[in-house]
Amino acid sequence: MGKRTERKKSLNRDYEGYLFIAPACFLIFLFGIFPVFYTLYISLFKWRIKRGSFLGLRNYADLFGSYGLLLLLLAVVLAIIGGTLLLNRREKLNEMHPGTGSTGLSLGGRVLQIAGWAGLLLLLPLFYSRGDDKLLDSLRVTIWYSLGTVPFQLLFGLTLSIMLNRDFKGRQVFRVIYLLPYVVPSVAAATVFERLFSLRPESFANQVMQSLGKAPLQWLQEPKGLLTLWFGWGTGEGYIQSWLQGPSLALATIMIFNWWVFAGYYALIFSNGLSQIPTQLYDAAKVDGAGFWTTLRKVTIPMLSPTTFFLTMLGIIGTFKAFNQIYILRNPAARGAADPLSIQIFFTFFRKSRFGYASAMALILFTIVLALTVLQRRLMSKDVHYGD
Amino acid sequence: MEIRPKRRITEILFLSVLVLGAFVALMPFLYMISNSLKTYGETVTRVSSNPFSPRFWPRKLQWGNYLIILKDDSMGRYFFNSLIIALVTVSGIIVTSSLAAYGFSKMRFPGRDRIFTVLLVTLMIPETVLLIPNFLIISSFRWVDKLHALTIPFMGSAFFIFFLRQFFKQIPDALMEAAKIDGASHFTILVRIMVPLIKAPLFTVFFLAFNGSWNALQWPMVVTQSEKWRPISVAVAKYVTEAGPETQLRMASAMVALAPILVIFLIAQKQITEAITNTGMKG
Repeated sequence: MGKRTERKKSLNRDYEGYLFIAPACFLIFLFGIFPVFYTLYISLFKWRIKRGSFLGLRNYADLFGSYGLLLLLLAVVLAIIGGTLLLNRREKLNEMHPGTGSTGLSLGGRVLQIAGWAGLLLLLPLFYSRGDDKLLDSLRVTIWYSLGTVPFQLLFGLTLSIMLNRDFKGRQVFRVIYLLPYVVPSVAAATVFERLFSLRPESFANQVMQSLGKAPLQWLQEPKGLLTLWFGWGTGEGYIQSWLQGPSLALATIMIFNWWVFAGYYALIFSNGLSQIPTQLYDAAKVDGAGFWTTLRKVTIPMLSPTTFFLTMLGIIGTFKAFNQIYILRNPAARGAADPLSIQIFFTFFRKSRFGYASAMALILFTIVLALTVLQRRLMSKDVHYGD
Repeated sequence: MEIRPKRRITEILFLSVLVLGAFVALMPFLYMISNSLKTYGETVTRVSSNPFSPRFWPRKLQWGNYLIILKDDSMGRYFFNSLIIALVTVSGIIVTSSLAAYGFSKMRFPGRDRIFTVLLVTLMIPETVLLIPNFLIISSFRWVDKLHALTIPFMGSAFFIFFLRQFFKQIPDALMEAAKIDGASHFTILVRIMVPLIKAPLFTVFFLAFNGSWNALQWPMVVTQSEKWRPISVAVAKYVTEAGPETQLRMASAMVALAPILVIFLIAQKQITEAITNTGMKG
């Protein structure tokens, strides 16, 4: 008995453990944590390869137009955060003492949130006209990129997974084929797509256009937006006009690459989710006389909502971080119409050697990714709804 | 009697969608293979959007294309650079991550869980944010253009620690206790008892880490200035974005760049499909 407690005690304090975690922790600290603070430091300087003069928040002010606009941005962001915190507080209070009068909190929270978002929307055109339009242009490209990839990947993935989710010979063959685009190095795959969607008449994409009786397109080299090409929208100047153009054809072609890479991967993750749905639910649906579409709408899709949610967030955060495929597929002829924020930051640093300015941009990207991740965590912990 | 034919039709419909999906997934690979073996003239004139047409394929297989890119364009050298970089990185990741995962799951010391949480937070930091400061750090170490710069910064990975820790946690402590009574140290327990039990997850780490290192582009582009340690990803990216080379050579270089991953994937397809579907849910 005595020996056992002694051993337990020694188990409780294994100082040797520090030795075990030391190599990994040291590396992660040096190359993963410390650099975040270092970026912040660099962003406060004029820094071209070597450190120059201290600028304070000048780089940020240049990005958004002026110190005044930067201050307004800060106010707006604080309003959104504050509103959310107030609403949280109310929810907690409500949990502890249901029905107590906390309408003040909830009203204040809502007002702050709405005012914050409205302010942000009103500020965007100002940032665009006064600040560095590269920032908002590339941010718009990133948002289009998310909107144009994630929903389609979900749709294709779900479709394939439903068809894949039955026992039949050769199922594993399909799984392997669907995962191939995801597994192979994106640099190599993008190299192939760069040729498939070349503007030359003999390229694969233009051969397909020809067999459909259509004129060849510029694909990756077309800076014009889809909505401009189709409906002639967004030809004027200004921020709202820039949105009306829609994603450029160059960007849309990169989206097609993304669909190709991720549809199969999404399908496999979805079929993982499908296999966890209890079969009794399907039996019950059958007894109730539900057809294929009803079962899909009332059983499959609601039961898959955690998977769908996971893939949505993974996809959105992924598009904000994406680099390799865009670096290969972007073409100077598209004049930046397919350059998201990550590419813009890279060129500001690597080609223009503006370390300080690029660091400020990188921290803006980081803030957005951080906000999305926090949002994901919050929504995840709130339990995704299983339908009504 | 009414259901039967309807069922048959859905069955055929489902299968044709699956086949169509597989066709789309494979199409770029077929294009790559066929065009890597064409002459320059054939890539312009002998074209088709239909892989079943003979015009999609070369008249005579031009293996010489591969010789040109491997020797004249030094892709062979870059290939071996990548191989060395990937193997060194992966070895480092496996050593540091299994040590740390063992520490975080099987040993008790003050602050353990807090440190682990901090490590997990690093997972959400985009690579682009770390690029500039890390370049300055590496420069101050005078590591630019050296193997160190391409391998050491990647050797600590919160993701793989997290991944392996889950498997260590599933191993019952009783196994350790028995070994401890026999006077085994933690290190012996890790190497002799734990590692043999987590061979499959370690292979997954190997594959994912190898793939990550092989596909890395942004960081190697920044820290390799000469061709001494230039990896194949950077070489292919340069090859493509500098717009010089002809289609058949680009396709041959893409083929070389994805060959090792393809081979490992096809050999261990069952385990890798399983691993990716599962880590996807957890990572």
